[in-house]
Amino acid sequence: MATAAASRPNPIAWLIAPALLLFVLFFVIPFGVMAVMSFFSGNPISNPNAVLTTRHYERFIDDSAGIFHDALWATLRIGLVTTIIALLIGYPLAHWMARMQSRLGHALVLMAVLAPMLTGIVVRTFAWMTILQDKGVINTTLISWGVIEKPLPLMYNEFGTVVALVHIYVPFMVLTLTGVIGRIDERLEQAARSLGAGRLRAFAEVTLPLSLPGVLAGSLLVFALSISAYVTPSLMGGTEVLTLPMLIAQQVGTSFNPNFAGALGVILLAVSLVIIIAYNRILARLSGEQGLA
Amino acid sequence: MNVPPPNRRPFDMGQTAYLALNGALLFFLLAPIAVVVVFAFNPTPYISFPPVGVSLRWFDKFFSSAEFMNALWLSLWTASCVLVLAIVIGGACALALARGNLPGRGWLTAFFMSPLMLPAILTGLALFQSYLLAGIGRPVWGLILAHTLIAVPYVLRTTLAVLHNFDRRVEEAASVLGASPARVFYEVTLPLIRPGVFAGGVFAFIVSFDQFPVSLFLVVPKGETLPVVLFNYMKFDLDGAIAAASMVSILLALAVVLVLEKLIGLKAYVKL
Repeated sequence: MATAAASRPNPIAWLIAPALLLFVLFFVIPFGVMAVMSFFSGNPISNPNAVLTTRHYERFIDDSAGIFHDALWATLRIGLVTTIIALLIGYPLAHWMARMQSRLGHALVLMAVLAPMLTGIVVRTFAWMTILQDKGVINTTLISWGVIEKPLPLMYNEFGTVVALVHIYVPFMVLTLTGVIGRIDERLEQAARSLGAGRLRAFAEVTLPLSLPGVLAGSLLVFALSISAYVTPSLMGGTEVLTLPMLIAQQVGTSFNPNFAGALGVILLAVSLVIIIAYNRILARLSGEQGLA
Repeated sequence: MNVPPPNRRPFDMGQTAYLALNGALLFFLLAPIAVVVVFAFNPTPYISFPPVGVSLRWFDKFFSSAEFMNALWLSLWTASCVLVLAIVIGGACALALARGNLPGRGWLTAFFMSPLMLPAILTGLALFQSYLLAGIGRPVWGLILAHTLIAVPYVLRTTLAVLHNFDRRVEEAASVLGASPARVFYEVTLPLIRPGVFAGGVFAFIVSFDQFPVSLFLVVPKGETLPVVLFNYMKFDLDGAIAAASMVSILLALAVVLVLEKLIGLKAYVKL
């Protein structure tokens, strides 16, 4: 078998066919359709009057209603804040996990990190609604303790949206960072300390810089995920938050303008692709080919 | 940010703060799930805190509501089909990528993993528009194949991880000893990758069962999956029925984690 391992594909390569068929029919072509639809005035197959146009993009750029640019900006802002907080929360956890000696402890923490990940987005958003709403856990408790008199506005705004998004995407940050921090030789930090550096200094000057590629990869991943979130902003944001994915759903559901939705989709896709390409570059540099698997 | 010392001393402020911080972060991760459990058993007609008692009325409401039950069965049916399809398609694809001597393997792998990275709501939108253009309506098989597309990368990831880890010389030894390529495949390769494929299948099931963004545009009224029904319900009502439904989902996920741990051990998934 080793001698046959030349560069020519062997019969096993045919096993790729079903996946290729599925991906071409239900992934490549649909995304092409979305892009094509965004340049038509209507359904080009059922409507003979549908013409080629760039008006959906002009509508977004002109933004005469004054909501599209705000929505794009809100999407990016929520994504950025979510990413930063997820990093601040995810880093200590990842560091703890990566440096943990006990295998049982490691498995338990990993389970705790994975458990929310295996709970649906809708369920987790519901959990945060019960915690942050006016009669929720936090407000009721604070009022009964006499700390506040009126409930704090914790939900139906960007704050609530970000809190729930952070909770949903922190596990992705932790899993990315744990792998990277785990590969940093602990003895490097010990060497720095034996040479007189304090614990914080050893961390800040040895471990932290070495983990920066992981920080970047994890951040890009969380950013890409949170700018495409729909459930959480629409339930936690109330009327105060409007993001690009919410705008897309509106165009499909209430306005029934799939062509304009397509244009919005292409815009969101363009933003995501830039982030994804950067993420893959970093990951490939981190771990070679295996990073993609 | 604090760091554990290389050698532990009896009492250490930094170490204590480090552990306390991480304990608090774990609490942040797990508390919301605990809260759902509390509200699932709390009998008051709206979400209120602190809980006043224990009752099963919300489970009763959930399991006796035709709307919820139809959605639950559709979700379970979809997820089961996705499980089987994703195992077959993803497992075969992983074998082809790892053993097929294909040119451009890195690119192909990245391509097959990309549904995980692209916004899922756009996958839903693109499929919605394609079904619209093709004039096929929104059939259940369209939903199942859409979920399969999102689930295949998970099977691919776990199976490739197993294929990377196991020694290729085992297969070579079998073939040196006279086994035909088909026999090597059925008696050596397949049993070795089975845990990876099954673990991926478990992920595939959960991804489909909890799927929202891909389903959103692909379901029809009265034929919605459980997450979509819950989402629509939550827009107007926030009562214990949602908590009970959430509990059912969480218990399912928990069962799945245990199966996962038993099959392959969770350690395999930290290698991202």
